Amino acid sequence: MNPLVLAADNPAAFNWMPGVTAIVVFLIVLVVLSLFVWPKISKGLDDRNEKILSEIKSAEEAREQAKAALAEYERNLAEAREEANQMIQSARAEAKRVAEDLKAKNEAELAERLKRASHDIETAKKAAISQLHDSAADLAAAVAGKILDREVNAADQKQLVEESLKELSEHAV
Amino acid sequence: MSLLIAEMSPTSHVVDHVLWSVGGTPVLTTQMVTMVIAGFVTVFLLWIASRAIVTGPETEGNARFVTKGKFAQLIEAMVVYLRNEMLLPVMGEHSTRKYLPYLLSLFFFILTMNLFGIIPFADMQALLYVFFTGSDNYHHYYFGGTATANIAITCGLALISFVVIQVHGFRELGVKGFLEHMTGGLIDGPIGLWLIVPIVFAVEIAGLFIKPAALAIRLFANMVGGHTMMGTLLLFGYMAFSGGLGLLGGGTITLVSTIFTVMISFLEIFVAFLQAFIFMFLTAVFISLMSHEEHELELEEAEDAKAAVAGH
Repeated sequence: MNPLVLAADNPAAFNWMPGVTAIVVFLIVLVVLSLFVWPKISKGLDDRNEKILSEIKSAEEAREQAKAALAEYERNLAEAREEANQMIQSARAEAKRVAEDLKAKNEAELAERLKRASHDIETAKKAAISQLHDSAADLAAAVAGKILDREVNAADQKQLVEESLKELSEHAV
Repeated sequence: MSLLIAEMSPTSHVVDHVLWSVGGTPVLTTQMVTMVIAGFVTVFLLWIASRAIVTGPETEGNARFVTKGKFAQLIEAMVVYLRNEMLLPVMGEHSTRKYLPYLLSLFFFILTMNLFGIIPFADMQALLYVFFTGSDNYHHYYFGGTATANIAITCGLALISFVVIQVHGFRELGVKGFLEHMTGGLIDGPIGLWLIVPIVFAVEIAGLFIKPAALAIRLFANMVGGHTMMGTLLLFGYMAFSGGLGLLGGGTITLVSTIFTVMISFLEIFVAFLQAFIFMFLTAVFISLMSHEEHELELEEAEDAKAAVAGH
C-alpha cells in the first residue's frame, strides 16, 4: 500500500488541519519576529535616522556659527577701519593744532622779546643820556670855570648847566 | 502507468497531499510541512538580516549605522519602502508603529511560502526517490508545493487579519462608534434615512466577513492559478509525445512550452511578491478604515473646503 494517500484532485478541497496549523505557525512566527527581529531592525533604522538628523542639525548649527563668526569678523574689521580713520583724523587735527599753538606761542614770545629788547634799549638809552648829562654838566662846569678863570658859584653853575641841558635835550630829542 | 495518470492532471502539483491521516481525517499534509519549514526559514533569514541592520558597536564609528551585506540591504529596502511609502500614508504614524510587526511578519511569511512554491522541492524528492528505489511512484515526497495555494491556510491567515481588524475597530471606535460605523453614520442623519439603516447595516456586516474572505480567496486563487498554468504548459510536451506526434512534433511542442513555462515562472516570482504585498496592504487598509483618523481627515478636508469657499 502506498504510504501516500493521494488527496482528491481538487485544489479547493477544504481541510481544517492546515488552516489551524497556519494560525499556529503564523502566531509563533509573529511572536518570534516581534521579540527578536523587528525591534532590532526598527532600532537600526531609527538609530540611523536619528544619526542622520543629528548630523544635519549639527552641520546646520556649524554653518550658522560660521556665518555669525564671519559677520562678527567683518563687523570688527569695519570697526577697526573706522577707528583707524578716526585716529588718523584726530592725529592730523592734533598735529595741526599743536603746530598752530607752537606758532602762536613763538610769535607771542618773539613779540615779547622784541618788546623787552626795545624796552632795554630805551632804558639803556635813558641811562646813557642821563650819564651823559651828568658828565656833560661836570665837564661843562669845569671847562667854563677854566675859561672864565673864576669861580662860578654853585647857583650860577646850576643855572648854566640846566640851560645847556635844555639846549641839549631840545637838540637831542 | 501511474506516472501517466498522475502527470496528466495539471493540478497534481497544486493540491495538498496527505502524509498521515487518522480515521480518514488528514492530520499531516505536505503543505503543512512546507508551511512550517517556511516559517523557520522566514524567522532565520530575517534574524540574519536584523543582525546586519541593527546599529553595531561604538568601535565601528560611523560605519556602525551602515547595513552590511546585500541580503540585509534587500530586506531593509523592502521594510523601509513598505513602512514609509505604503503604510505610513495609509495608517498614520501611530497605527503604523503599532501594527508594523504584525504586517511585516505577515508579508514576509506569505512571501516565503509563495517563493517556496516556485522552487520544485516536491519534484526533487520524487525524482530522487524514483532514482534510488526504482519505484514508479512520482508522488513520494514529504514537503513542497505552495502552502498559500491551500484555501485552508489562506483562510487561517485571513482569520487572523479579521480578528486584528475587528479588535482594532472596537478598541479604536468603541461599541457606539462601531455601530455608527456599521450604519454609515446614518443614525445622526435625517429621520427619513433611518429606513435604509437596516440595509446599510446588513451590507456592512457582510462586508466585515467579505473583506478577509476576499483576502483568502485572492491569495489562494492567484497561487493555484499560476501553478496550474505552469503545470498545463509543461504537460503539452508530454501529451504530444504520448499522442504519437513523434520526435520532431513532440520536441517542438516541448521546447515552446518550456520557454513559456520559464517566462511564466518570472511572472510567478512577481506574483509571489505582489500577492504577499496585497494581502498585507489590504489588511492595513482595513485596519485604517476602522480608525478615527479617517473621520478626522474627512472633517479636516471639510473644514479646508469651507475655508476655501469662504476665502473666495
